[in-house]
Amino acid sequence: MSDVKGLISKIQKYSTKDGPGLRSTVFMVGCNLKCVWCANPELIDSEPQILYYAERCKKCGRCASVAENNSIIVTEKGCRIDRKQCVNIEECAKQCFYDAYETVGYQITVHELVEKLIRDEAFFEHSGGGVTFSGGEAALQYAFVLQAAQLLQQNRIHVALDTAGLIPWDRLYRILEYIDLVLFDIKAFDSKIHKNCTGVDNSIILENAQKIAEIEKSMIVRMVIVPNMNDQMDDICARFEFIKKLGSVVQQVDILKYHKLGYGKYILLGKHNRLIDNPECSLEFISEVKRIGESMGLITVIGG
Amino acid sequence: MDFLSFIPENNDCDFDRLMRVQQKMTARIPTICPERAEIITQVFKNTEGEPIVIRRAKAMAEILKTMTIYIEEDMLIIGNQASKNFAAPVFPEYSIDWIVEELDEFEKRSGDSFSISEDTKDRIKAIWSYWHGKTHQDEVNMNLPEINRLAEKQGVLHRGGISMSGDGHIIPNHDFVLSVGYGGIAEIAKEYLKKDNLKKEQIDFYKAVIIVMEGVLAYIKRFSILAKEEAKCQTNRKRKEELLYISDVFAHLMEGGAKSFYEAVQTVYLTHLLMMIESNGHSFSFGRFDQYVYSYYKKDLDTGIISKEKALEIITHFFIMTNSLNKIRPWNHTQYSGGYPLYSNLMVGGMKPDGTEGTNDISYLCLEAMNISRLPEPNLSVRFCKNTPHSLILSAAKLIRKGFGMPSVFCDEVGIPAMMTLDLDLETARDYASMGCVETAIPGKWGHRATGMTYINFGKVFELVLNNGFDPATGIQLIKMNGNEGSEVEYETYEELWQAWKTALKFYFGLAVDCDMVCDKSLKYHDADAFASSLIDCSLERGKTLKNGGAKYDYVSQSNIGPSVVGDSLAAVKKLVFEDKILTMKELKKSLDENFESEEGARIRQLCKKAPKFGNDDDYVDYIVADVYESYLELLPEYKTDRYGHGPIGCGYTMSTSNITSYVPNGFDVGATPDGRLAGKPLNEGASPCLGADKEGPTAVINSVSKLPNDRMAGGQLLNMRFSPGALEGDENLEKFANFIETAKYKKIFHNQFNIIDSKTLKDAKEHPEDHQDLMVRVAGYCALFSTLMPEAQDAIIARTELDWN
Repeated sequence: MSDVKGLISKIQKYSTKDGPGLRSTVFMVGCNLKCVWCANPELIDSEPQILYYAERCKKCGRCASVAENNSIIVTEKGCRIDRKQCVNIEECAKQCFYDAYETVGYQITVHELVEKLIRDEAFFEHSGGGVTFSGGEAALQYAFVLQAAQLLQQNRIHVALDTAGLIPWDRLYRILEYIDLVLFDIKAFDSKIHKNCTGVDNSIILENAQKIAEIEKSMIVRMVIVPNMNDQMDDICARFEFIKKLGSVVQQVDILKYHKLGYGKYILLGKHNRLIDNPECSLEFISEVKRIGESMGLITVIGG
Repeated sequence: MDFLSFIPENNDCDFDRLMRVQQKMTARIPTICPERAEIITQVFKNTEGEPIVIRRAKAMAEILKTMTIYIEEDMLIIGNQASKNFAAPVFPEYSIDWIVEELDEFEKRSGDSFSISEDTKDRIKAIWSYWHGKTHQDEVNMNLPEINRLAEKQGVLHRGGISMSGDGHIIPNHDFVLSVGYGGIAEIAKEYLKKDNLKKEQIDFYKAVIIVMEGVLAYIKRFSILAKEEAKCQTNRKRKEELLYISDVFAHLMEGGAKSFYEAVQTVYLTHLLMMIESNGHSFSFGRFDQYVYSYYKKDLDTGIISKEKALEIITHFFIMTNSLNKIRPWNHTQYSGGYPLYSNLMVGGMKPDGTEGTNDISYLCLEAMNISRLPEPNLSVRFCKNTPHSLILSAAKLIRKGFGMPSVFCDEVGIPAMMTLDLDLETARDYASMGCVETAIPGKWGHRATGMTYINFGKVFELVLNNGFDPATGIQLIKMNGNEGSEVEYETYEELWQAWKTALKFYFGLAVDCDMVCDKSLKYHDADAFASSLIDCSLERGKTLKNGGAKYDYVSQSNIGPSVVGDSLAAVKKLVFEDKILTMKELKKSLDENFESEEGARIRQLCKKAPKFGNDDDYVDYIVADVYESYLELLPEYKTDRYGHGPIGCGYTMSTSNITSYVPNGFDVGATPDGRLAGKPLNEGASPCLGADKEGPTAVINSVSKLPNDRMAGGQLLNMRFSPGALEGDENLEKFANFIETAKYKKIFHNQFNIIDSKTLKDAKEHPEDHQDLMVRVAGYCALFSTLMPEAQDAIIARTELDWN
């Protein structure tokens, strides 16, 4: 087996929300959905991203001095970066001595990754936890995830895959052989709503959910509820009905409360977020959603 | 009332009253009381020429017979140390000059302030002339070699409390006290006194024990009378009955053994209090409370004398009362131990000497009591082992989640092997308990002062190594790494640098041991304490005070500050200079001298900061930090304490990373270090990673610490972690946190303590102390009210990495 490389942003240890027990979540870079509410915008494009922290900047101007097209201007508030014009931003970032620039995303081989992950084996074992591949869309780097998951399973470590499901079935199927639990995101049932929220059609996603159920792979279905985007009650009900039909492989439905904690990262990336003024989800509404799920006999959890 | 796991089934515990007294104790006002000082001065004037152990016993007896006593309103557990709640008595026999010098400063301090009246100031000034020149501190100052003074000026060594106060650091044999009583101990002394061929030392000791126990019993009887008087004027019927009950109990309390659970708990408190009237050390600890009071509880429960609820009430009253005690320290010591700490550790759970698991009802009730009392004392610790019920850890986790830093947790699978590295048999080692912060000892068998001897600033030693032994701040040079004067030194290889570190550490360790010896020899005289000594195994049998070799075992440890800073710095030099060769030693040294100022300094600092750091499960640096520990451990076998050959088993040194808040002021003296730390910034706390260096999460911290020689740290290992409250929210997260704690047993983690507070709250509390009066934080092996800490210590706690992983 060749040692495939993957592009990851970080390994989040002591992760409590990505499956059972204490887990290490591997965040993979690159996604094929463009959810307007995305909390990890640095993981959308399939290449390392450069974040800029104005509060760490000493305004020394070293980055600006090498920036092509005069794309970085030092102002009182820090550097103003014209991301389109700044074609050599990696080089600019390297000039900084004060860590005002941070590169997110690095290459790691399967063996390097697994060697790091198994160091937490005692925590996994004692808490009933393991490793979760998340992202971005982890399954896009399917050869990497497949080999890593296989190696982890050989080491008797529980492996979960967090996926939005837009992956050709033959590839997804091959990964699933080494996955103990799938955390499957369903963003909307109606394809128009789905497309409006994520930029893509959901027919393959829903089909894949059914296929995962058919091969009887354990699943936790995750539903993020975003006001004014995918909070239409009839669609939420339709999602639940769809989930219900998947049958007993669905261990639990996690209702993820939409939050804006990741929005600071848009600023760091020099990107705009459409939903910046969107309200957060009310607890009453989320509780109502939970109640609906429960009324259909689904184990429904807020958060997760 | 929000319980951890307890569900009250009757009204035997008055929770409203507990809330009331808790609030009152939270708002306690620190003052200074001159009574004890005046009485001991008088007795010492009257007993010139008599043996010191007798003089101290007579003084203690006189203090107990004549000091102001009072019954704290509403309390079931009674007994007072000074004339008012939270008033600190004065111990002029240990040191007096600084007290007089700082009389006008006590109120102005930025942390640990005391309000003091003009009358008190005058009364203290009045006794100054008698003690000046005669105290323990004076004797230490007279005998301390000049070279030690210079090492202190450099900021490498710090003398700590041992040079100016009593020893403390003791866990009495409560089992023994509860079974025979103070009266019984006096009887034992009388029996020994009848023996033939006694040495003068023995005769004096036995006489002193008899004098002191007679004083103690008189003190107890005074409360019987007082309670009866107060009962007369008491209009509340319930309280009247309580006072009459107290009066009855105190009429004969401890003439013999304890007759009930109430008497047992009351006696445990009194023993603690009495030791703190006799001497002014700190870290007088309770040991394994749940083990030695359990039989009294069980008997009373089985015979229907008390209920579980009543037991909880009694324990909670006891916990609250331990906060009525106080101690004054000089300002420069206060920086080392902020927040009025007494470090009175109380331990529950863990393995019994026979190897079975010891958790019982009292273990749980202590956690509940702490949940109600929410005050800095006692310093509650939980031991756990393989067979400890998960429910105890879950209750402990629930208490930790409350965010006031208790309990800290100790893992038997590491602690017991660590104790076995001393000359202990397995059964004895299994009975270990925490004393003070995280130091460990065997209750009832250890002498005074297991740890906290001379402090060695590892960070400073490393700075000196880089400067050829020359201190850039003071210009003092006590050792020349290359044999030449001045700060110029070249290290061609990492090995050379490492050898220089070992040489310098050995040099300063030797000086620290000399300092320990000077202080110990002086305390033999000044801390000749008949009461405390008689509570430790073998003292009565040998007829010796602890300082003369009365204890069964004798081990001490110093306090070492900054092993992670040194390890991280060594790793940075090794990688950047010797391996990757992207920096020269000269370039690095220049930036350090300039505190990384200038653009070039910033470039180098960035490289330094990116070098491997302890706390991220990175073998490269973790094993270098482990080497730093080894470099100290390998020095220890050569050195003995003053008691060597005088009775106790051991009399050697062990290692502890308990360093209270000293990592903050010790940092003041250390210039910039190759790990990227700026000059004057704090060193690392205990065995924890450097502030902000751990970026890979809590499991990585544990994995890093697990590579240290934890099971040889018989003096106790300190790890302090901070989680955000969100990480423990809800049952599921709590369960995961409990699992995290339990995993320590596979990871060789001796001790762990947690702060569950977000930075926002802490920052707000620093700005608006009035809004956060009851905010308690885990400082370094103990808890303190955040508002009482000095600003620098507050900042260090805020900066401690917040492990928020969600």
